[in-house]
Amino acid sequence: MAITSEGLEKKLREELECTHVELVDESGGCGAKFSALIVSNKFEGKPLLQRHRMVNACLAEELKSIHAFSMKTLTPAKWEEQQGKS
Amino acid sequence: MTRVVDANSTVEFDELAEKHGSGLLLAYFWTTWSDQCQQMTQVVEELSKELPQVLCVKVEAESVPEISLRYEVTAVPTFIFIKNKQKIHRVDGAKAAELTKKVRHHADMNASPPPPLPVLNDKPKEDLNTRLKNLISSSSCMLFMKGTPTEPKCGFSRQIVEILNKRNIDYATFDILEDNEVRQGLKKYSDWPTYPQLYHDGELMGGLDIVKEMDEAGEIESTLPIKQSLDERLKSLINKAPVMLFMKGSPDEPRCGFSRTICGILKDEGIKFHSFDILEDNEVRQGLKKFSNWPTYPQLYSKGELIGGLDIVKELQESGELKEMIED
Repeated sequence: MAITSEGLEKKLREELECTHVELVDESGGCGAKFSALIVSNKFEGKPLLQRHRMVNACLAEELKSIHAFSMKTLTPAKWEEQQGKS
Repeated sequence: MTRVVDANSTVEFDELAEKHGSGLLLAYFWTTWSDQCQQMTQVVEELSKELPQVLCVKVEAESVPEISLRYEVTAVPTFIFIKNKQKIHRVDGAKAAELTKKVRHHADMNASPPPPLPVLNDKPKEDLNTRLKNLISSSSCMLFMKGTPTEPKCGFSRQIVEILNKRNIDYATFDILEDNEVRQGLKKYSDWPTYPQLYHDGELMGGLDIVKEMDEAGEIESTLPIKQSLDERLKSLINKAPVMLFMKGSPDEPRCGFSRTICGILKDEGIKFHSFDILEDNEVRQGLKKFSNWPTYPQLYSKGELIGGLDIVKELQESGELKEMIED
């Protein structure tokens, strides 16, 4: 079963109540290398370490079949702020 | 005719494996930035000249992650030996001699017996007493026994292992059944006729009866070194230096792109750090993931506290908080 960006995004949105998710499949389609931008209210007031742990827990199954996964975790406020800048 | 080719996709790789059939295919996982890989590329090229029947396939580990994942390649250089599309052997790391030996062995289609043992005679023979002395002192607590702790081959050896394990003693063992010279020599050397024999800091403590007596008198734990639990070991490791990086390889010879990048960031920021190569210690590698509830490497610690992995360190660097966070 190949991992897809869509599948990952769906799970993140449902379980972490993400308001915004961007997934980039960097593997050329085989589903083994991703980078992610994850925006969720649940990250509010939590240190980075805890945010990453939440994502790791949410995707624990999928990460077993992913060779490399990198992520950025933002609160909606921070995300908007960044949007405003660019 | 060169027999070193590149596979840039899974499809290409599988086609090569299909075509090469029962011949030996050596899949060589490398990256552009690794100095160790540069050396090993030369080794592979030499090997392919010597053994033209071997097909060497170079796979850039980070750009074809699916193949890396398939063969559980998480560090470079790594070599996977394939015949009939099946993995038959692997060599981790830049071990030129081991690689050469194994490739020569597997390249021969009919090679079932292992290569002949090296002739020992041309090596200057270590004096037996020196050897015994070194063996006895090779660990603070040393047990000469029949068999191994998991498979003792005699009741006395089994009992002494049980006592040491029960008391959580940190000991190493030598199986005298595997080496008759040591078996006979040590009896004379220590003037002790039987096995097992237990040594502490190079001194003979005695055989089973003595150890039993010590155990009954409650003296074992105060005499012999106690094994550190894994948690204690991990705790002391993450506190070994103010800034500790657990990585694949070393700062000079990183073996994974993430580890390499994080070293670069720390260097750029002028942060002094010590590192631990998790590829060299699987107990730490698996244990620390659980201990810190963090599934991947590298892991950066400051004063024993987990800062995070590469993504977090990158983010902290971008926001200018990294140095401050580490020096606080």
